[in-house]
Amino acid sequence: MNDFSSEERAAPFTLEYRVFLKNEKGQYISPFHDVPIYADKDVFHMVVEVPRWSNAKMEIATKDPLNPIKQDVKKGKLRYVANLFPYKGYIWNYGAIPQTWEDPGHNDKHTGCCGDNDPIDVCEIGSKVCARGEIIRVKVLGVLAMIDEGETDWKVIAINVDDPDAANYNGKPHLSDFAIDIIKSTHDHWRALVTKKTDGKGISCMNTTVSESPFKCDPDAAKAIVDALPPPCESACTVPTDVDKWFHHQKN
Amino acid sequence: MRALLPLLRTGWGWRAGSPAAARLPRGKSAGPGPHRAMAFYRTEERGQPYSPDYRLFFKNVAGHYISPFHDIPLKVDSTEENGIPTKRARNDEYENLFNMVVEVPRWTNAKMEIATKEPLNPIKQDTKDGKLRYVANIFPHKGYIWNYGALPQTWEDPHRKDKSTDCCGDNDPIDICEIGSKVLSCGEVIHVKILGILALIDQGETDWKIIAINVNDPEASKFQDIDDVKKYKPGYLEATLNWFRFYKVPEGKPENQFAFNGEFKNKAFALEIIKSTHECWKTLLMKKCDGGAINCTNVQVCDSPFHCTQEEARSIVELVSSSPNKGRNKEEEQVWHFLGK
Repeated sequence: MNDFSSEERAAPFTLEYRVFLKNEKGQYISPFHDVPIYADKDVFHMVVEVPRWSNAKMEIATKDPLNPIKQDVKKGKLRYVANLFPYKGYIWNYGAIPQTWEDPGHNDKHTGCCGDNDPIDVCEIGSKVCARGEIIRVKVLGVLAMIDEGETDWKVIAINVDDPDAANYNGKPHLSDFAIDIIKSTHDHWRALVTKKTDGKGISCMNTTVSESPFKCDPDAAKAIVDALPPPCESACTVPTDVDKWFHHQKN
Repeated sequence: MRALLPLLRTGWGWRAGSPAAARLPRGKSAGPGPHRAMAFYRTEERGQPYSPDYRLFFKNVAGHYISPFHDIPLKVDSTEENGIPTKRARNDEYENLFNMVVEVPRWTNAKMEIATKEPLNPIKQDTKDGKLRYVANIFPHKGYIWNYGALPQTWEDPHRKDKSTDCCGDNDPIDICEIGSKVLSCGEVIHVKILGILALIDQGETDWKIIAINVNDPEASKFQDIDDVKKYKPGYLEATLNWFRFYKVPEGKPENQFAFNGEFKNKAFALEIIKSTHECWKTLLMKKCDGGAINCTNVQVCDSPFHCTQEEARSIVELVSSSPNKGRNKEEEQVWHFLGK
């Protein structure tokens, strides 16, 4: 277990919705830059963005100060991932490994494509449906080399170390080692970003913990960012009913 | 006084009392849509959801408590319920328009069902060995893969061996899987088009599963028969078969069997089965067969020896105590079961 917590602002499923992360002292931090990549030897932290079986496309806002989690918007509309029969929403807890970055200026030697400008994505396959904004500890099992619209978009496959079955997942070191190498490489890119060796145009590198970062600020500055926003909202907006539609792949 | 006898026999006394405080209505049926399936039924909760005390009672448009098992017509009556026939309806469409009582919304796990043994048959959550029952998630599925429920005024007679399955009925109304896009609510009453049927044999009992679509589904006009499901929703029937075959395996039960090798029969066949279970229900309500512990209390079937008045129905509901407000304890089933091939 860890001491991170989260705080919502505005109502879920609205444009203004935000989930801010806090450290053990209750101070606001960035889930992108201030949550350590490693929880332990060979154990990584994961920031949960999308709980399994939900549809709202929530993500770390890389361009906003303190990088809260917010819902992605496309053409002015809140984005929901479709249900592709037989699946319902996302089929794992989905999120990101903190302190990683797929550099769009770097051409990946495996995929031949540049990075997608985001932290590296994780599909967590354990039984528990995690909560949006939860920070969990995961064991890395492997990685899938996705090329999403011409950009490198690795998908790490991992399991929550607290999953009752986690001990059974030891399988193939050559697969997990490969995945860990990919993650380490994205961690190097992140370090270059946050120490201003790489220009992350648009990305907000504001952080409260990275001592060698010129973007480091103190907790009061972080608090000021959050205090300027609308307070948490009691009632959630509901997910639009057309999100329930199940799409069947038409073969004929 | 005669109408009181069924109540006394089942152990439910009758006394005058003040009307119970009505909670927020749930699962209002239908709403605006091209088909005029207006809100003829409302529901009223008792107890906390996801608790053994939870009950969802039904009321008609006049606000009188009714049984969703006995008092909702099986077939949509175009004169009484609709008023104006929809522009889209052809005459033959009314041949297979039925009322469906929704018990389990798609993608949920709580095993909600019409309480056939309780007076006025509210919806409640099934329990097993004293624990509330949740259906397992059989990979790749999440909960139920259709809106699931029952056809009112039907009954699968446990004393009759079905000639297709060679098994006796499961003592319940006939089950229905509604395949439309919308996720419906528990307690909703909708109008459906019958498309086909699957002959499940669940733990040795006949347990037909009707395949149908909400008449208000945006694509409803594409669906006339079972082949349309294969055409427009490929994989859905295979998934349905797979679901029913395996859904009790995580509970330690064996795989289920099917008649006709798991083949889905067409609309015409389905309509015959429905008719037959409707006849069984009629004999049940007229006390012409042994209904066992089934509670046949009703307010609309005037010729039935189990008929009661609206006042008696209200008293039944008032006797159901509201549990103290413990707050929702929703234990959603999260484990995904991966069953080996």
